[in-house]
Amino acid sequence: MKARSKEADEKLLVAAAQKDPRCFADLYEANFEHVYAFVAHRVYERADTEDLTAEVFQQALANLAKFEWRGVPFVAWLYRIAANAIADRWQLRSRERGNPAAEIPVDRQVPIDLEGIEKRAQLYRLVNTLPVEQRRVIQMRFAEEKSIRQIAKEMKRTPGAIKQLQFRAVQNLRLRWEEKPGQRTRKVHG
Amino acid sequence: MAKQSLNEQLDRVAAALLGQADAALSSNGASRPFDPVLRPEVEVVRELKNLPSPDFRARLKADLERRVTMVTAAVRASTEFRAAATPYLCIRGAAAALEFYQQAFGATEQLRLTQPDGRIGHAEIDIRGARIMLSDEFPEIGFRSPASLGGSPVLINLDVEDVDAVARRAVAAGAEIVRPVADQFYGDRSGHLRDPFGYTWVVSTHKETLSPEEMQRRSEQFTNRQTGTSPPAKQPAQGETFREGFHSLTPYLIITGAGPWIEFVQQAFGAQERLRVKRPGAGDLLMHAEVKIGDSMIELADANEQFPPMPSALWLRVDDVDAVYRRALDAGATPIQAPRDQEYGSRDGSVKDLSGNHWYLHTPKPGNAVFESLRSVTPYLHPLRGAVLIEFLKNAFGAEEVYRAQSPDGVIHHAQVRIGDSMIGMGDAHGIYQPMPSTLHLYVPNADLAYERALRAGASSIQPPADQPYGERNAGVKDPFGNRWFIATLIRH
Repeated sequence: MKARSKEADEKLLVAAAQKDPRCFADLYEANFEHVYAFVAHRVYERADTEDLTAEVFQQALANLAKFEWRGVPFVAWLYRIAANAIADRWQLRSRERGNPAAEIPVDRQVPIDLEGIEKRAQLYRLVNTLPVEQRRVIQMRFAEEKSIRQIAKEMKRTPGAIKQLQFRAVQNLRLRWEEKPGQRTRKVHG
Repeated sequence: MAKQSLNEQLDRVAAALLGQADAALSSNGASRPFDPVLRPEVEVVRELKNLPSPDFRARLKADLERRVTMVTAAVRASTEFRAAATPYLCIRGAAAALEFYQQAFGATEQLRLTQPDGRIGHAEIDIRGARIMLSDEFPEIGFRSPASLGGSPVLINLDVEDVDAVARRAVAAGAEIVRPVADQFYGDRSGHLRDPFGYTWVVSTHKETLSPEEMQRRSEQFTNRQTGTSPPAKQPAQGETFREGFHSLTPYLIITGAGPWIEFVQQAFGAQERLRVKRPGAGDLLMHAEVKIGDSMIELADANEQFPPMPSALWLRVDDVDAVYRRALDAGATPIQAPRDQEYGSRDGSVKDLSGNHWYLHTPKPGNAVFESLRSVTPYLHPLRGAVLIEFLKNAFGAEEVYRAQSPDGVIHHAQVRIGDSMIGMGDAHGIYQPMPSTLHLYVPNADLAYERALRAGASSIQPPADQPYGERNAGVKDPFGNRWFIATLIRH
């Protein structure tokens, strides 16, 4: 029942955005983490991940009118755009570097680990549920890739205190991540 | 080596995953195993390595919204402003018109394409969300403006929030009032403005939403007032369209003895002399004179070689037909018919004056709406075939038939038609009532257009439209029955 209503909600969102592109923001909000997780898993550099994620949503916006409902979730359409964009970029880079592999046809029908992407997307969202200081530490440390020393300086705390905040934040995320129904069996630590 | 605390161990894993120097500093730190109890936390940290930056997430959203705005603006430009039909105005002086529409109606210019010769080949303006296209005139390809054609019969309706304010602004910018702003029976407050380029705009503000039935009811009420089944409505347009004291239609008598005639009407009918212009070097002969009887004007002049005498018939409404009949005879008129009650609802008598004009004196019986709607003086015609004349008046001047009494063989005993705010009476020629072609002075909103229309309806030209020194643009036509019509539009006093 729940999956059914989720699909119905998504249909409404897509139909609304096809009618009025201003509603595309709702589709973006609903799918950003998934697309980012999909791309990040296949691309090494953060800058490439961001470029490709942007490209996926820009293409989706431009081609939204062509989207037809075929019983698969909207996000699957976004993954296909992403897979093609990644393959194009890989071929282009290889060609620029004179790599003969560029001429080898790319298999664009790579199997997609839907469950793994769902889990990662959930984790990214859980960061927003952390207490303010813990959230700041996690975002600075991982999204902004700052060192403990930089974070300590910015937050006017000792490096030890930052490491403690980071540890508690990760523990919290672990607990909340496990709580998600249907994810994994809950482990109890003594 | 001291055992590291759990949070130190976890940070060591994080630093290694992030490829940071902190980890490299401690020799073989990254490879050092962590406490197995941390395995679930290490898994979280491994996934956090790809945590998206909130800043990037927000920036991308803003970028997409900007794209959406651009896309919707483009869609709006290509679809919403393309209604199925759009007015396309041909204008002599399109550049000045773009300026005028901006000042008068708050138009915004959307597009302007200029030809090598400086003429505007195409322009588009937006007025309150409505698109209007325009260009300069190109007579070489038959694209002519109202200035070339003598006006435009197409009205453009413009809905505004405050019609009075817009009308003031438009007049200040150079528009001319054709019909002053007034409340209309269909729930709008509106007026007709002619722009300096010859287009007429019906500027309206919606005041009251009415059902079609209510509109129809008020329309009938309005028409009844116009045709006289109710008291005549005040005509707000008069002040602008006619000279003061005049109505749409004024008889113009061309007679011998204009001076003595004025004395006669003063004595017989209580006329007031309003104007007397003598013909230079011709003694007491009059070039032009105006008298007022009751609520009506009569214009007259002494006949000359160009305009020989044309006695006419006038229908004069009086309060006491018997008394007026006696006064007319005393003043020198000859009797045609002594007063008597008529079965059609009035007491009538008739006389002929010294200059040969017929006067049909009548006092309507109370409650006779058709006669009670008449003004003091109404021109009366005796055409050979009234039905044909009525058809001509409809086609030429937009006349409206108000009343007709006709025998089975088609002879019109009596008919009334309205032109503008005035009436003409007629009855087919018979017996002593033979055709008396008349000269009539007719005010219209646009003399040039009315002149063209009269010619198309079968009139012949006496003189094409021309500005006259007395403040009118005036044209002359003769209808198929010999009546002369001087068609006039006020210009500047």
